[in-house]
Amino acid sequence: MTVPTKDDSQSGTVADTVPLPTYRSLAAPVRKPVDKFALLPAFLKVRGLVKEHIDSFNYFVNKGIKKIVEANNRIEARNDPSIYLRYLGVHVGMPSVHVEYNIENITPHFCRLTDRTYSAPIKVHIEYTVGKQHEVRRKNNFIIGYMPIMLRSHACILYEKDEAELAKYGECPLDPGGYFVVKGTEKVILIQEQLAKNRIIVDTDSKGRVIASVTSSTHAIKSKTVIFMDKGKIYLQLNQFNKPIPIIVVMKAMGMESDQETVQMVGRDPRYGDLLFPSIQECASERIYTRQRALQYMDEKVTYPGATNQKEGRSYSILRDVFIAHVPVKNGNLRPKCIYTALMLRRMMDAIVNSDTFDDKDYVGNKRFELSGQLISLLFEDLFKTMNSQAVERMNKNSDKTHSSPLDFSQLIMQDSITFGLERAISTGNWDIKRFRMHRKGVSQVLSRLSYMASLGYMTRITPQFEKTRKTSGPRALQPSQWGMLCPCDTPEGEACGLTKNLALLSHVTTDQEEGPLIYLCYSLGVEDLLSLSSEEIHTPGSFLVMFNGLILGKHKDPQRLVIDLRNLRRSNVIGEFVSIFINEKQHCVHIASDGGRVCRPLIIADMGISRIDETHMEKLRHGTCGFDDFLRDGLIEYLDVNEENNALIALYEHMDQDDVERSSITHIEIEPLSILGVVSGLIPYPHHNQSPRNTYQCAMGKQAMGNIAYNQLFRADSLLYLLVYAQRPLLTTKTIELVGYDKLGAGQNATVAVMGYSGYDIEDAIVMNKSSLDRGFGRCIALKKYTVLKDNYGDGVSDMIVEPQRDNGVLIKQNMRALDEDGIAGPGQIIRNHDIYVNKRTPKNTSKGIGRALRESDYKDSPALYKGVDGETTVVDRVMLCSDTNDKLSIKCIIRHTRRPEVGDKFSSRHGQKGVCGTIVQQEDFPFSERGICPDLIMNPHGFPSRMTIGKMIELLGGKAGVSCGRFHYGSAFGEPSGNADKVADISSTLIKHGFSYNGKDFLYSGILGQPLEAYIFMGPIYYQKLKHMVLDKMHARASGPRVLLTRQPTEGRSRDGGLRLGEMERDCLIAYGASMLIFERLLLSSDPYQVQVCRKCGLLGYYNHKLKTSYCSMCKNGENMAKMRLPYACKLLFQELHAMNVVPRLKLTEV
Amino acid sequence: MDRPSGTSYQRFPRVRIRELKDDYAKFELRDTDASMANALRRVMIAEVPTVAIDLVEIEVNSSVLNDEFIAHRLGLIPLTSAAAMQMRFSRDCDACDGDGSCEYCSVEFHLSVHATDSDQTLEVTSNDLRSMDPKVCPVDQARAYQHALGGTDPFGANASNENRGILIVKLRRGQELRLRAIARKGIGKDHAKWSPAATVTFMYEPDIRINEELMETLTVEERISLIESSPTKVFELDSANQVNLFSLVVVKNAEAYTYDDEVIKHAEAIGKPGLVEITAKEDSFVFTVETTGAITAYELIMNAITVLRQKLDAVRLQDDDGDLGELGAHLGGP
Repeated sequence: MTVPTKDDSQSGTVADTVPLPTYRSLAAPVRKPVDKFALLPAFLKVRGLVKEHIDSFNYFVNKGIKKIVEANNRIEARNDPSIYLRYLGVHVGMPSVHVEYNIENITPHFCRLTDRTYSAPIKVHIEYTVGKQHEVRRKNNFIIGYMPIMLRSHACILYEKDEAELAKYGECPLDPGGYFVVKGTEKVILIQEQLAKNRIIVDTDSKGRVIASVTSSTHAIKSKTVIFMDKGKIYLQLNQFNKPIPIIVVMKAMGMESDQETVQMVGRDPRYGDLLFPSIQECASERIYTRQRALQYMDEKVTYPGATNQKEGRSYSILRDVFIAHVPVKNGNLRPKCIYTALMLRRMMDAIVNSDTFDDKDYVGNKRFELSGQLISLLFEDLFKTMNSQAVERMNKNSDKTHSSPLDFSQLIMQDSITFGLERAISTGNWDIKRFRMHRKGVSQVLSRLSYMASLGYMTRITPQFEKTRKTSGPRALQPSQWGMLCPCDTPEGEACGLTKNLALLSHVTTDQEEGPLIYLCYSLGVEDLLSLSSEEIHTPGSFLVMFNGLILGKHKDPQRLVIDLRNLRRSNVIGEFVSIFINEKQHCVHIASDGGRVCRPLIIADMGISRIDETHMEKLRHGTCGFDDFLRDGLIEYLDVNEENNALIALYEHMDQDDVERSSITHIEIEPLSILGVVSGLIPYPHHNQSPRNTYQCAMGKQAMGNIAYNQLFRADSLLYLLVYAQRPLLTTKTIELVGYDKLGAGQNATVAVMGYSGYDIEDAIVMNKSSLDRGFGRCIALKKYTVLKDNYGDGVSDMIVEPQRDNGVLIKQNMRALDEDGIAGPGQIIRNHDIYVNKRTPKNTSKGIGRALRESDYKDSPALYKGVDGETTVVDRVMLCSDTNDKLSIKCIIRHTRRPEVGDKFSSRHGQKGVCGTIVQQEDFPFSERGICPDLIMNPHGFPSRMTIGKMIELLGGKAGVSCGRFHYGSAFGEPSGNADKVADISSTLIKHGFSYNGKDFLYSGILGQPLEAYIFMGPIYYQKLKHMVLDKMHARASGPRVLLTRQPTEGRSRDGGLRLGEMERDCLIAYGASMLIFERLLLSSDPYQVQVCRKCGLLGYYNHKLKTSYCSMCKNGENMAKMRLPYACKLLFQELHAMNVVPRLKLTEV
Repeated sequence: MDRPSGTSYQRFPRVRIRELKDDYAKFELRDTDASMANALRRVMIAEVPTVAIDLVEIEVNSSVLNDEFIAHRLGLIPLTSAAAMQMRFSRDCDACDGDGSCEYCSVEFHLSVHATDSDQTLEVTSNDLRSMDPKVCPVDQARAYQHALGGTDPFGANASNENRGILIVKLRRGQELRLRAIARKGIGKDHAKWSPAATVTFMYEPDIRINEELMETLTVEERISLIESSPTKVFELDSANQVNLFSLVVVKNAEAYTYDDEVIKHAEAIGKPGLVEITAKEDSFVFTVETTGAITAYELIMNAITVLRQKLDAVRLQDDDGDLGELGAHLGGP
């Protein structure tokens, strides 16, 4: 037995709590691998796929909103402070609406169908004064507005409901929630990525200067403080000052009049002194020696003088309130700010001396993720304050005007501002908060319901804050610190590539945690208070500074001890599980973080490389006698954030030796390696065998695949919905697929694929499809489209009319009324064709005002809703829904269904980023067949493989083939081979051999056309194919003649307007190069906008043709003598006229041809 | 094109039936070539007519599946089509002007199911389809009928108690499905629902020759590994005697060979090329035919031959007319 030495504990491991290893324990045989997989479902059961959203919103509803109201709990009339209103408490009720003085509870699905907002009343308890005597009254459950409610949050009626209850509410049990329903559309507030607040970031700016910057953020103010070094001298830059201020001046202004103390505060290292010297010299040369003088100097540089308090001095108040605003100033004591500034300087100089210590802005540990709860809380705070100030405003106005008894505040509070403010922000995505000068666009987005994966993908998406146009590669590159936190595959292509990211499967984003108890705890664990330290003592060697959420708490003489103690407290649940304790040896700092927005992930704790979880624990978990939270409570598992991961040594597997790693130094063990991927990339089988960009492409395509969307898909009223008729579960699954429920809501079909060339219609990734397979339902899909008609009210009882189809002797007067029922609306189940009427609506001719009498039949004109479909396709009215919208107008929603079978040009893709269109459809008898009678569903060209290197697809084929032969779903989870979550190729091959196939998956095929054997063995087996939403039917377009634009008389543009196909510049160039001048003439003049004009040969201006006199006339020359007829494009004539209007005279000079 | 008169290249293909069940047949086709075998296969898949539901009029459908979905499923139900060869195609039926609704070219079906009181889901299957013509009905009904007659069950031992029909849709309480369907004659070329063939495939009969001399140079282990190198059980040790030094490798089942070359590769790998030689017999085919049940395998084969003959007759009639046009000139005709 050895006694722990000093070195031992300084290595950063947490070894003290475990029994020290004896000779026996070290010599014991390595334990058998523990199957840790069950932890994943357990985690997802507790935390769910979108737990971070829901947690964040819950935090806001339960705690955040209370804090906001408490902070602004009293409003009083300006002229008489004894008239007041006090908020005593606040809570959010159950989602409901007011219907005719009744309160009705609402469900999310009801809101989706009726275009309502799923919102709950914000109820407050208030105390206010009434009447002249200022009689105090109380009112409970006073509603100040409605708050949109996140689905599956505490306030939602779906909270902790089981499957049967969810079904009763019309909700899909697999739907993760975490979004809002605003005006009938589902909106997600995306996770916003930003740089960590209140942390010192040392970096270089665009000019190459070393800068240390802090973005401070408190409830009251947000500010950015930058200290930079220019030509050896150090300056402070702050928006409130129009010029950089020498840092020593700032220090002096904060009371550090002694230069010696400043240097002491920064540190005794002579190098710091050398670097500070020029700055001190500069200050001295300005003759600033006193605080007074320094403040004076700074006052001259204030940007907006006058705005701030004159009495205290402008710069003093800026230093107190704006400069590193998050450092609290108690009783005007600026010393903490001095120490903080000194620390910034020290960090900066560290970076100059040793470039290793620069901070990386792209490092995930320096990022914070802002979630819906925080965003809504910002918005609510602003709206709440606005509402209060408006109430005060009204009160003042009233008391000025009338001399009657003063009103009470409760009548002046308007619900609308909060209700509409929240609703508007979430539905438009524009977050405008005046106080913080925050103007963000696209914060919320419509939740895509194209496929189940698409909606899950939205919930894990993280959008960046900075603009996407920047060409920098740094933020786009894959960061090593993303490991396990953010998915390395799932990012879009193009401009947002690498900036928009997605959370990994097991990652979690923290919410704020109470600071007070933690700070108290730190002090009691031996942290010396900052204020009790002299400047010299702060940086004594051996002691570490303790930073708490970016604030300097003090210092500790034995940092390892502190860290171990804190971590043990966390493991034994004394402090929250998301508190991160991180020791930074380079900075000589211990960082403790409890702030929200950090990403973290669970890891198994290992003592000296031995996992705390053993088979008995897993047994309990599998039997359901304990859950993930129990593991957490028992200190078997803990959450590490990105920073704390740096203090850990994480092994993939306990039982396996990793090269060059001392087993005893391992502190944690990964739960499952597949969790480094996200939800969307988790459905790729064998992604670790694919070339990396292919996985990225698949992540984009998986979201476009058609399939089943939700269990309630047929009762939804989305404006466009694509469903697959026979969606299947993939034969080759992954563990992620099972965890997220993709096996229940699949988006694709297992197609038997032969990899061979066939017919030549398969070049460039096109695929050849078997007609019989299509007949039997392969790739068949349903497109549901919603058409809404509003029956408008014009007031005075004048409204639109929906009338039964007009008949003449029992025969419909118009053929296109055949789909209509007797109520004038298309009947469900009716076949509806192009130009058919689906709502037979009539509008009053005069809608401006009532004519004072009942409207007659003749006062209406027909305004039927015409269905615009594709000619020759049969579409059916699926459902008709009638509901009244929020303005009490009748809205008629017709959902029209179209069943489509694949056709040439439809897009398909496997799960490996291999997309292709259907090149041709071939009869089954022409397809190759094997002697077992197997005939492929589609043929894919082998040229798709060499350059794409999608080995995963080949293994999928093998695994799928083995799967169908032996009747077991095979697995292909990422990096799953060692843990048994992915089948090995060798095992698959032996299965194939057992069932009479070749080990390499190739089959001997006969040509279906000739009956002769094909000359090569064909790689054939099942691959999961997705049908993508891009279909020829929606895109094909051609036109001979058609509509024209009114202004230019040129053909319209775009498919939706039946537009022409433009002969553009490049096409024109080709024709010029070829010399086809007559063709150009025809295309550009005759086929587009020919026009005949009268030109005056004398003045060269356009005249006109007088139809009465049958002569042409020049209005400039006032005669018709020299007129000539010519043809030119109408757009040209228009240009001339526009130029005329601008006092430019274009003249045409004509010559005889 | 002058052929030596007298020598005829005409061959007389022979057929030997190995196995014949109602929906399964295995036979050998000898003395002909691949074009003939393949033509037969193609006709069986695509051109032997059957009857299948082609038009569905839905009266009530409150099930979870939409109308087209159900119509598609109905179409794929195999109907007994023994009489299909004699039926008329609706498109050239005189009795109804191609309307496709007369007794000569169509069969009407009715389906009416209403899930009333039971709390369980009600399964609507092909057994619920009521045919207007007893000759044409879903195959499972025909099977059940035959079974009820006490006839021998040709479809294997427990077909009777497993006869639950083909599932169309499941209904919950209160849901209803009522429709009228018209079945018509058609061929697999138009839509796969008219194809009577589930599997039609053939293989070349392999000709396996083992070089006995070389084989004798192999040890017993090598012989066993040679046998095991084939993924299918093609070879075995001469089992007449006990496995000993002299037991030889013999062909157990030549047709199990899938032309995978594994044995040949193995022979090369152990340094004995030519140990086993396998060639395909160019004029001998083993057919496997499975039907959907719409017609029996025997009918399928015979109808296919009839259809093929009709097609050949059509070609020959054209030839007699001499109306080959330019093609005739190229062929050096008259």
